[in-house]
Amino acid sequence: MTTIALIGQPNCGKSTLFNQIAGYKSLAANFPGATVTYTKGTTYIDNELVEVIDLPGTYSLSWYDDAEKETVKALFSMDIDVIVNIIDASMLIRSVELTIELMSLEKPMVVALNMMDEASKKGIEIDVQKLEDILGIKVVPIVAKKGKGIKELLASIKQAKKPRKRCVYKKEAEEKITDLSKCMAENLKDTQWPLKLLSIKAIEGFEPCEKAVMETSCAEMLTKIKKDLDDGMVIINQRHALCMNIFEQSSQVKKTRKKSVESYFDDILMHPIFGYIAMIAIFAGIFYTVFQGGVPIENLVMGLFGDIDSYLSLVIHNQLAFLIAKGAVDGIGAATGIALPYLLPFLFIISFLEDVGYLPRIAYLMDSTMHKMGIHGTSVIPFVAGYGCSVPAIMATRILKSKKEKYITAFLASIVPCSARTTVIMGLAGYFLGYWYVIGLYAFNLLVVLISGMILKKLLPGISPEMIIDIPPYRLPSIKTLLLKTWQKVKDFVYLAVPMLIIGSVILTLISYYHLDIYINDIFKPILHDFLGLPSALGVVLIFGILKKELTLIMLYQALGLSSIAMVSSVMTHTQMLTFTVFVIFYIPCVATIAAINREIGIKGSVFITVGTTVLALVIAYMTKIIFLAL
Amino acid sequence: MRLTEAETNKTYRVVAIEGGCHAKDRLIKLGLLPGVEIQVKRKAPLRGPFMVTLNDSDIVIGRGIASKIEVRPVV
Ligand SMILES: Nc1nc2c(ncn2[C@@H]2O[C@H](COP(=O)(O)OP(=O)(O)OP(=O)(O)O)[C@@H](O)[C@H]2O)c(=O)[nH]1
Ligand SMILES: [Mg+2]
Repeated sequence: MTTIALIGQPNCGKSTLFNQIAGYKSLAANFPGATVTYTKGTTYIDNELVEVIDLPGTYSLSWYDDAEKETVKALFSMDIDVIVNIIDASMLIRSVELTIELMSLEKPMVVALNMMDEASKKGIEIDVQKLEDILGIKVVPIVAKKGKGIKELLASIKQAKKPRKRCVYKKEAEEKITDLSKCMAENLKDTQWPLKLLSIKAIEGFEPCEKAVMETSCAEMLTKIKKDLDDGMVIINQRHALCMNIFEQSSQVKKTRKKSVESYFDDILMHPIFGYIAMIAIFAGIFYTVFQGGVPIENLVMGLFGDIDSYLSLVIHNQLAFLIAKGAVDGIGAATGIALPYLLPFLFIISFLEDVGYLPRIAYLMDSTMHKMGIHGTSVIPFVAGYGCSVPAIMATRILKSKKEKYITAFLASIVPCSARTTVIMGLAGYFLGYWYVIGLYAFNLLVVLISGMILKKLLPGISPEMIIDIPPYRLPSIKTLLLKTWQKVKDFVYLAVPMLIIGSVILTLISYYHLDIYINDIFKPILHDFLGLPSALGVVLIFGILKKELTLIMLYQALGLSSIAMVSSVMTHTQMLTFTVFVIFYIPCVATIAAINREIGIKGSVFITVGTTVLALVIAYMTKIIFLAL
Repeated sequence: MRLTEAETNKTYRVVAIEGGCHAKDRLIKLGLLPGVEIQVKRKAPLRGPFMVTLNDSDIVIGRGIASKIEVRPVV
C-alpha cells in the first residue's frame, strides 16, 4: 500500500486536510502544536487504497521540541512513499524553508498550498505556476477547511515525482557542505539522516547532528567549517535569502489599508488590563452557561428515568432481577441525565475556544504568572486542554522544551478539573449548593494549582528557555467541525464510561443485595468516615472513579442506596458534598491519565504525581471539612 | 540597543541574536534573524512577554529572549 505523509509547519492545516481525506480522526485546532502524535488513516485515490499519516507540525527537520522530533523520527523511520508538504500560503517565506529541507530527502513530493482564502484576504497573490517552476515540484492550491482543491491534490499525489536537485547555497558554502558530507560518508555508517542534510544541520549547530559528526574523525573539519561560515549563519542567511527570493518572484502583495480584524480583537483581548478582565469574564461565562443549561436537563432526564424504574417494578417480579435491571437503567440514566448535559456543551465550548485561536493569546497574558511556577505561557495550552480531558493535556506537554517544564506542567494539568470532574462540580456541588460554589471551586482549584506550582518550582532544579509561540489569526470554526470534534472528545465517555457504569451499577446492586457493604465499608471507614467525615459507602465509588472520573458522580446515589440523585441532600450535608467534590477534583488521576504521564515523563513521574495528588486531595478535603464545619 | 528597549509600533532591524540563547534556533525558523525588520506590537504587563510582527506573522517571545536580541531603529 502506498503511504503518504502530511508534513508542514505547525498550524498550517495538516490535520484539517487529513480529516477531509481520511475521515474525522485527528483533532485540528487553531494553535501551533495541536497535533503531537501521528494518526494513520486511509483514503482512496482512483480506487486504490492508500495510507495517509497526519504528523505533528514542525518548523524544520532540526527539531526543537518533542512534538517536532516525533515528526522527524516518523519521516526517517516509516516507509513513506510520497511526502505531501502543506504550506500556509499566507506565510510563504518561512514555510518554504521546510520545503527546501524536505526536497533534500529526494522522495516523491507534492506541495499543497493551503489557506489560499486567507492569503488573498491578506492581499497576497501567488502565481502558482511560477512557484511550481521555481521549486521544481507540483504545487496544488487548496482550501482544506472548505475541501477545495482536494481532488486535484489527490490526483497529483498519484503522479508525484522526486524534486529536481537544486543548489541552495553559494558555491563556497556548497563546497564546504559537500566536503563534510563526503567525509561523513566514509566515517559514519548507520544513520537515518541523508548525509548532506546531516552536514548542514551539524554546521548550523543542531546538537544531535553536530554530536554525530564530532564523534567521527570529521570533527576537526566541522570545527573549521563552522568558523569559516560564522557558526552556520552564512548558510542560514543564504537559505533565507533564497526563500525571500522565491516569495518575491512568485507573489505579489497588495497593501491592504484596512486594519485587520485581529488588531481590533487583540486590542481588547491582549490589553494589559481589559485583556485579563475579558479572560476571567470568558471563563466565568463558560461555566455559567454550561451550568445553567445543564441543571434543567439533569432534572428532566432524571425524572424520565424515575418513571422507567417504576414501570420496571410493575413488569419484573423477581426481586434480584428487578434490582439488576434497575441498576443498569439507573446507570444509563445517570450517564445521559447527569453527565452528558454538562459534558457535551462544555466540550463544545472548549473546542470552540481552541478553534477560534484564543489559546495562544492567553499564553501571552499568563506568561509572567506562569513564571512563578517555573513554567512559561505555552503551558496554558496543556492547561486549557486539561479542562477537556487530562490525557491530551499530558500529551500536549510535548510542545514544551525542558524536562522541568514538562514535569511541572504534567503535575498541574492533572489537577485541573477535566470535563469528567466538571460533572461532579456542577452536578453535585453546583446542583445542591448553587452557582457561586461552582465558580468558587474553579477559582480555588486555580489557587491550588498556583501554590503547588510554586512549591514544585522550588523542588525541581534547573531553568527552562522562555516561550516563543506564533500567534495565529482568529478563525471562525464551522458548527460541523465543532460537532465532529465534540463527538471525538465525548466518544470515549460513550464507549468506555457507559459500559463501565452499567457494570458498576450492577455490582453496587449485588453488593447491597447480598449485604456485602458492611465488610467493604469497613475498609474505607478510617479514611472516609473518620478522617474526612464522609459516608464510608463512597469508597467503592472513589475506586470506580479511578477508572473513569465521571463514575464518581454517576454512581454516588446508588452507592448511598438512594433511588435518585435528588435525594442525595437527604443523606449528605452540604459540607460533605463539598468535601467529596474537593477530594474528587484533586485525588489520583484516572488510569488513562496515569498511563499518559508514564509515557511522557516516565514511571518516576507518574508515581510521584499519583502519590502527590492523593496526599494533596486528602489534605485539602480535610481542610474543607474543618473550615465548613466551623462556619 | 536591545529589543526590550524598543518602542511599540516602530520599525527596527535585527542586528544579532546573542549566542548561548537557547531559543535562537526557533527564532530563526520563525523568520526572526539578523537583517529582518520587526516591530513590537505589544508588551504584556508585569515583565511579561512581547508580541512582535515579522514579515508575515505575529509571534510572542518571552522578555528574557527579547533581551538577547540586538536591534537598530530603521529610519
Ligand atoms: N481559513 C482557513 N483556515 C484553515 C484552512 N485549513 C485549515 N484551517 C484552520 O487552521 C487551523 C489549524 O488547522 P490544523 O489542521 O489543526 O493545523 P495543523 O497543521 O494540523 O496544526 P498542528 O497539528 O498544530 O501542526 C484550524 O483552525 C483550521 O480550521 C484553510 O484552508 N483556510
Ligand atoms: Mg495537526
